Amino acid sequence: MNGRQPICDARYEKRLVARFQAGEHEALASLFELHVDRVFAYAFHVLGNREDAEEVCSEAFLRAFERAATYRAECPFRGWLFGITRNLCLDRRRQPRLMLLDIDESERIAGHSDDSDRIAARVDITRALAALQPEHRLVLTLCDVEQWDASEAAEMLDKSVAATKSLLYRARRALRERLAEAWDEEERDGT
Amino acid sequence: MAMKCEEAGALLDLHLEGELPQELADRLDRHLLRCAQCAGELRSLEQTRSLLRKALDPAEPSPAYRERALARLTDRLAPHLRPAADQDVGRQWSLPFLTTDS
Repeated sequence: MNGRQPICDARYEKRLVARFQAGEHEALASLFELHVDRVFAYAFHVLGNREDAEEVCSEAFLRAFERAATYRAECPFRGWLFGITRNLCLDRRRQPRLMLLDIDESERIAGHSDDSDRIAARVDITRALAALQPEHRLVLTLCDVEQWDASEAAEMLDKSVAATKSLLYRARRALRERLAEAWDEEERDGT
Repeated sequence: MAMKCEEAGALLDLHLEGELPQELADRLDRHLLRCAQCAGELRSLEQTRSLLRKALDPAEPSPAYRERALARLTDRLAPHLRPAADQDVGRQWSLPFLTTDS
């Protein structure tokens, strides 16, 4: 999990939500810290750039908190937050200016000062990943890059754990085939 | 009973995730020692995952964004939050020695 907050247990979150509903600012901050890494990472991997991910992340939290503040009973805060995030990302991807955007390669490989072979491999992998079906790409980035466990990814993707694992296994094979094709092609071309 | 390729193939991903019960993992390992094809399949899946992890960095919100976003949320949700001063008062009055005289 790369030092991120572990996904919280439901009782802890419920207590925080109750405190937020009672008007405690600290509870708002704790709920934000609890989920911001996951919401941001999901939005970044779906939208492919930091600026859009930040906007979606902020808006998703605002809507989830507003809903929690006006809903007096116990509320499934995390479910709302993740659902709102998914919908906002979907809306964002439908906007024409973003249809052509994909994972921003320059951002993904920026900051790596390795030798040129490793950078080339990174570019190959990023391209192979970008050529996959969106849901394959997403499950791979959540589970293999972000290293979420399958139950965490399932919750964000709104799928069962079994369906998420099955999707991940298919996605890994699809990526392997893409990479193999790309590298076979390179060898044939002698590049 | 010796494991067949079909059964082994269905277990490779679980093995990769470290989620196989020990007994099944041992049976699979014995199969992998004898079957180059299944062993190669597992190796290629491991390499794919490893290449992916090396190629891409996890996405993390910047500290500046966290601060900005939280400040904006606090501002926008102010009507739902008690003012900070009230929260301090609330904490004081919850102390037993302060409530006995009231």
